[in-house]
Amino acid sequence: MTGPVIEARDAVLSFGETQALRKASFEAGPGEIVAVMGPSGSGKTTLLHCLAGILVPGEGEIRFDGRRIDTLSEHERSTLRRERFGFVFQFGQLVPELTVEENVALPLLLGGLKRSEALRQARGWLERLGLGGMQRRRSGELSGGQAQRVALARGMINRPQVLFADEPTGSLDSLTGEQVMDLMVGVAREQGTTVVLVTHEPRVAVYADREVIVRDGTVHALTAERSGS
Amino acid sequence: MIGFGLRLAVASGREALVRFVVIAAAVALGVGLLLSTVAGVRALDAQVGRIGWLKPQPAAGAPAADPLVWSTRWDYFGGKTIDRVDVGLTGPHPPVVPGLPRVPAPGEYYVSPALHDLIASHPADELAARFPGREAGIIDDSALASPDSLVAVVGRPADEVAAIPGARRVASISTDAPPIPVAALDLVLSVIAGGLLFPVLIFISTATRLSAARREQRFAAMRLVGATPRQVSTLAAVESTAAAVIGTAAGFALFPALRALMAQFPFTGMRFFPDDLSPGWLAAVLIALGVPLAAALAARLAMRRVRISPLGVARQVTPRPPRAWRLIPLAVGLAELTYFIGRRPPTSNGQVAAFLPGFLVIMVGLVLAGPWITMVGARLMARRARRLPTLVAARRLADNPQAAFRAISGVVLGLFVVSVATGVITTIVDQRGARESPLAAVTMLRHFDRDSDQVPGALLARLRGTPGVTFTLVTRENPDDTPDSPAGVAECAELARIPQYGRCAPGAVVAGVPYGLASVWNRDAEQPGPDMMWPASPVTVEELAALPIQTLVVGLDGTPAAHERVRTVLELAYPDQRVPPATENDFMGNSRTQLNQFQQLANVVMLFSLPIAGCSLAVSVAAGIVDRKRPFSLLRLTGVPLRMLRRVVALESAVPLLAVAVLAAVTGFAAAQLFLRAQLEYTLTPPGWSFYVLTALGLAVSLAIIASTLPLLERVTGPETARNE
Repeated sequence: MTGPVIEARDAVLSFGETQALRKASFEAGPGEIVAVMGPSGSGKTTLLHCLAGILVPGEGEIRFDGRRIDTLSEHERSTLRRERFGFVFQFGQLVPELTVEENVALPLLLGGLKRSEALRQARGWLERLGLGGMQRRRSGELSGGQAQRVALARGMINRPQVLFADEPTGSLDSLTGEQVMDLMVGVAREQGTTVVLVTHEPRVAVYADREVIVRDGTVHALTAERSGS
Repeated sequence: MIGFGLRLAVASGREALVRFVVIAAAVALGVGLLLSTVAGVRALDAQVGRIGWLKPQPAAGAPAADPLVWSTRWDYFGGKTIDRVDVGLTGPHPPVVPGLPRVPAPGEYYVSPALHDLIASHPADELAARFPGREAGIIDDSALASPDSLVAVVGRPADEVAAIPGARRVASISTDAPPIPVAALDLVLSVIAGGLLFPVLIFISTATRLSAARREQRFAAMRLVGATPRQVSTLAAVESTAAAVIGTAAGFALFPALRALMAQFPFTGMRFFPDDLSPGWLAAVLIALGVPLAAALAARLAMRRVRISPLGVARQVTPRPPRAWRLIPLAVGLAELTYFIGRRPPTSNGQVAAFLPGFLVIMVGLVLAGPWITMVGARLMARRARRLPTLVAARRLADNPQAAFRAISGVVLGLFVVSVATGVITTIVDQRGARESPLAAVTMLRHFDRDSDQVPGALLARLRGTPGVTFTLVTRENPDDTPDSPAGVAECAELARIPQYGRCAPGAVVAGVPYGLASVWNRDAEQPGPDMMWPASPVTVEELAALPIQTLVVGLDGTPAAHERVRTVLELAYPDQRVPPATENDFMGNSRTQLNQFQQLANVVMLFSLPIAGCSLAVSVAAGIVDRKRPFSLLRLTGVPLRMLRRVVALESAVPLLAVAVLAAVTGFAAAQLFLRAQLEYTLTPPGWSFYVLTALGLAVSLAIIASTLPLLERVTGPETARNE
């Protein structure tokens, strides 16, 4: 059996007196979609930040593809995030000065790809996500759903091994939220991308193969395997 | 509501307090400078108005029964100019002379305090002997331009005064008519005021943007709990007005210190009396009320640009891009200066009327054209950008070039003023310097106003016996007055004793020489020197002796004491000559000193305006970072290195700063070239290294200020900013 792609082992992280993670353990296999649920302040975003190498736990381990990443330098973790991970957040993730296609092409441009090639690939993703013809628009000219689809295109353009999504539908109405989730799950499955989906909405969590719940900084399994959609 | 607004302004956290203090400090600086500028203009008027009596115009009212015979001349001492008035009484009821208790009788004189000190601190044969008789008293400050003024009113018999060329009868004295073109100084002051005040005004307007987004969110929260748009607008106005009131008060408190500094600085070649440096009650009241009022209005206007609803803040869409018409005023200003090439107005006031609007229109034109140029440059930069930071920075600049340029427009004006001043001054100094010979400092000439064919032998003997005199020579008017012929002629036997000035053509007995040998009047003439060959003149020695004397030339050893002793001897020998004995350096000294002072002023403008503009930049950079902290934070989370974001922010500020620095310098030198061509028929000389060093220093300070804001980027883009809750 293949091992987990992304994994936390007994992670402990405190912010001053407040313990955000208390021996939290988590794992997601290749192509698996795992929903991380929990009430506000439970530690789910902190767990996502640790898994993505944004924060480093004080104790415990974070592993990606079997390799510890919590011991890497900030620079190495940044490179890892840029090259192997993708991100979709709730809102405000697009650079307002850039056009839609430039926002999507951002990870490729950061990777040093030629601008024309990066934009070509970005336009391909925009077509795929139903945003053809919008490539020259700015983020301020998009609806919430469109902005999330642009963010999804940006998160996926590097063909990441893991996509981290933090409340990706939090600022959308239910119908638009469903459309975004359909697209996200669809492209993730198509690419074989593992998705760590932080949400507190059960109707979003149903898109996942498996759900875990975070309470007071510890992770509990909520459901066993769920069949893929 | 007002009390609540005040509490919000100062007691709702560190950020609000910092914003309040920065606005108040910017207003204080602006008000201090505004008061100083108004006071400077008024002091200039007072200075010029008080010395109108030196060249008296008839006053309204009945003239005095016994007019004075009056002559105004000038003299030199140690590189400074002395105003000398000779007066002759014609009866017991003369007109009142400003600043004097009575008109000095023959054998008496009044002097200004500075001249009194100068006389007391030097041997009599260097200065005091030029004023015959005894010192009757001191001229009152009310008749002097400055504490440094060197003025003497000398009583002499009326017939002696009448013999001085230009002397006239004066029955009443008006103090209203200024003797120098005030408009010329107004030009300098308006340019300087523009260079100084503009960056401060920009700083104030930028400071009000500090943490605007946070403040607007706070107002949105208030709308949610029921505050009306009007109440929110009032709260914003209260905050700005309160800061402006405190800033205005602090500005008034700052003014005495600025006034003391200004009083020490000889803007017009002479220091101001501190009492003259007063803004006047009307201007003071207008500033005291106007600045807070303007702040309140500005706050209300700023609130109209955003729509604050109970559900949040909606900013208006991207401002319309600037149009190319913005280039028109700049082109008009440059065209106006170009038009006057070859069409220079004959009078000083006419020249000011010609050039002043040109310079001011260019300054306005630069500020208007700046956003358009920024936008075009940014679009080009975006098109060619290969790296992400360049692309983001270029897009941001192209999106709102007005905002980007506003923060640096102070630098543009400061650099423009400095470039014009440096260009003009460097060229004038270079042009004149090239024509000056080392002999100019040691060749004193006595100009002769009247026909005379003899210099008394006793005078020549006395001059030759004066320590420090190396030679004496008489030049006479050349009877050949065709345009290309030398102005004077001299005997070759005499010229042979001073080979350092030149030599006669072989076989010549009499030679043509330039005016006074040192070419004071004819600047295009070849300069004297050992290689100079004086052209032979057909005049014989006998004919030469009968020609009118043009100048008596006295060689000096270069010591100041010999210089002034010889001048005193010559003045006493010819007390009715209008032009004082002087070297070319004496004649040039005044304008050189004034040029240096203008350069100094220009440097003050730059050294002041660049850091202020840097502060504006810093505030706008900080505001830009805070406004975009979420997208920046999320980019950091996705693996964008911090240094890349730093590069974005640095490029957004540094690129327009450096680009407009070049634009301002180029426009400044272009304007200087046009002015030099039109006014003096000179071609611009490139400035010396000190200009580049000073400019680089100013820019380095500005960049350092920008760099100081970058740590903020790291602080505000931590993972906590990315949290959704």
